[in-house]
Amino acid sequence: MSASAAARPPAPESTAGRDTSRPVPFPRAARAVFDLALEGMVWSRRSLLMAILLGLPIAFGLLFRGVIVSRLPPRMTAFDLYGFVIAIYYIRNALPLAALFYATALIADEVDGRTITYLLTRPVRRGAILFGKFAAYLVTTACLTLPAVVITFFLLTTTRGWTGVGARVPDLFRDLGVVVLTLLAYGAFFTLMGVLLRRPVIPGLLFLFVWELVANLPGYMPRLTITAYLRSLIRHRPPDEGLAEIFGQVLPTALCLEALGAMIVVFLAAALWIFAAREYVLEQ
Amino acid sequence: MTRSRTVVLGSAMIVGAGALVALGAIYLDPARAAVGPLPPQALSLPAGTRFVMGLDVKRFVASPFYARYSGAAGASARPQAFAELEEKTGLNPERDIDQVYVAGGQVPSGPRADGLVVVTGRFDRYKVARAIETEHKGVTSKTVQGITVYLFNEDRSGRGTGAAAFLDDSTIVLGAQSAVEQTVAARARGDVPLRNNTALLSLIESVKPGSTFWMVGDQTLLANMPKSLPAPGGPGSSQSLELPALKSLVVTGDLDPQVSLDLTGETGDEVAAKNLADVVRGFVALASLQANQKPELKQLASAVSVSTEATRVHVAARFPYELLDSIQPRRAPASASQPSSTP
Repeated sequence: MSASAAARPPAPESTAGRDTSRPVPFPRAARAVFDLALEGMVWSRRSLLMAILLGLPIAFGLLFRGVIVSRLPPRMTAFDLYGFVIAIYYIRNALPLAALFYATALIADEVDGRTITYLLTRPVRRGAILFGKFAAYLVTTACLTLPAVVITFFLLTTTRGWTGVGARVPDLFRDLGVVVLTLLAYGAFFTLMGVLLRRPVIPGLLFLFVWELVANLPGYMPRLTITAYLRSLIRHRPPDEGLAEIFGQVLPTALCLEALGAMIVVFLAAALWIFAAREYVLEQ
Repeated sequence: MTRSRTVVLGSAMIVGAGALVALGAIYLDPARAAVGPLPPQALSLPAGTRFVMGLDVKRFVASPFYARYSGAAGASARPQAFAELEEKTGLNPERDIDQVYVAGGQVPSGPRADGLVVVTGRFDRYKVARAIETEHKGVTSKTVQGITVYLFNEDRSGRGTGAAAFLDDSTIVLGAQSAVEQTVAARARGDVPLRNNTALLSLIESVKPGSTFWMVGDQTLLANMPKSLPAPGGPGSSQSLELPALKSLVVTGDLDPQVSLDLTGETGDEVAAKNLADVVRGFVALASLQANQKPELKQLASAVSVSTEATRVHVAARFPYELLDSIQPRRAPASASQPSSTP
């Protein structure tokens, strides 16, 4: 949300009948922040880049249908390829990256742009600000990802006609759910990093591409990562190499849902607590 | 409406339309069946069934596997046998048979086999019935619930070594007499005894729909599997590998564009699942070690992946046809001209 938008005086009808000595009620405030943040997020250079990143599988699907499937000896079925796109591209790489670049910027951008002061001086609770911005992040990334997943699914699974597509549909719905859960879990974690750290991108990248490799280790170590739970929720198991091939394990679905739910709540609550308590002093 | 709302609405419309098309695909998919891949007719199978196997003949015949290996196995014999069958019964298996299901294990320790084969497709009932009556000696028939059951080699007590019957115009059931009669009677009454076997049905529901072939079995069937394997030390070694008992096994496979095999075995507990996974990984590792002598085995080892999910062990294998060709023994160059050289 830009500073000018935040500093814009509220509409007369919104103040009519409201006790101006008290902050705007949480739902109304969160909704207003959501609307403003969504407008700023959807139409941004960051979203353009993310749309390209998250929409790449569509281009690949078209390429596969048009060129690859007819010219190369097939090594895997089109559904295997779709599973590879979901498991390796989206769940392990693209979605965590999208979450990193959006969620760490929810508050950090306001601090960097020195507009946080204008935002915090509005008569809205800090929780409503964070909640509205997080909801805008979730809607923006879901709007970029879910259509791409659906289109990629149909592009790849109908390569040899519609026979058997119905059998794959439950996997599509499951994948859509896991995609949203991925955005929620990583979004909550990177929102926490965004309010906790001044420069959260580099630590976030290290977390994604160093710490998350722990998911390939044996024993209970994978349970200390986010990706192990998300990988276990999808049914696609593309062949791995190295440690992942040797020690690959799939965690129980109930455990994954419980762990991810707990992570989302804890990360968001911690982010909210830090954001509400922190005093932002801007450098001159 | 703001620009961002337009984007959100457009995105929601794409996802919604995709979901509708996907649901339509489920509803209109010809592979849709009563329970998992089983057609409604097969639910008349006895409740005591312990394993069921299925083969999608259409997919099998259309697969590269059939094109490659059926010709190589007997290019001259196969069409002749099919031609004879077609002449006698009007049935061309490649064209007329859709699915074959094999079920059995009702009395695993019993002296008589009780296997059943259910074949669905398009049959000329008159020609098939006439072929059964005229081509086999000792064929008699009886009527069960208004349906004719053909008995093969019926003895004085009225029991045959086998039986066959039409469940309807598109379904033939063959197998042990008692099992065929039970199935026919259940079908005539509209009963679905297999629905009472909830354990087996839950396994059947877990079969990946659209598979070319599949098999499910419960612990009764798997109790006859070996409990241990010789250790890698060789036959002379006194050590052996203990295999954890399997409670159930689900196998699904596809043949196009490569041979894909997915096995899911359920063990008693997580430790047993990990042990079993380790045993399988051990064999894959052994294959990898052999890669120095046989480079094609390196690819074979990487084609198999093993994972565990609580008490389940999942083995996925993907074999490209080039790999299968490379590990097959080389055929004699003269094989191509064999038909002309054979007296």
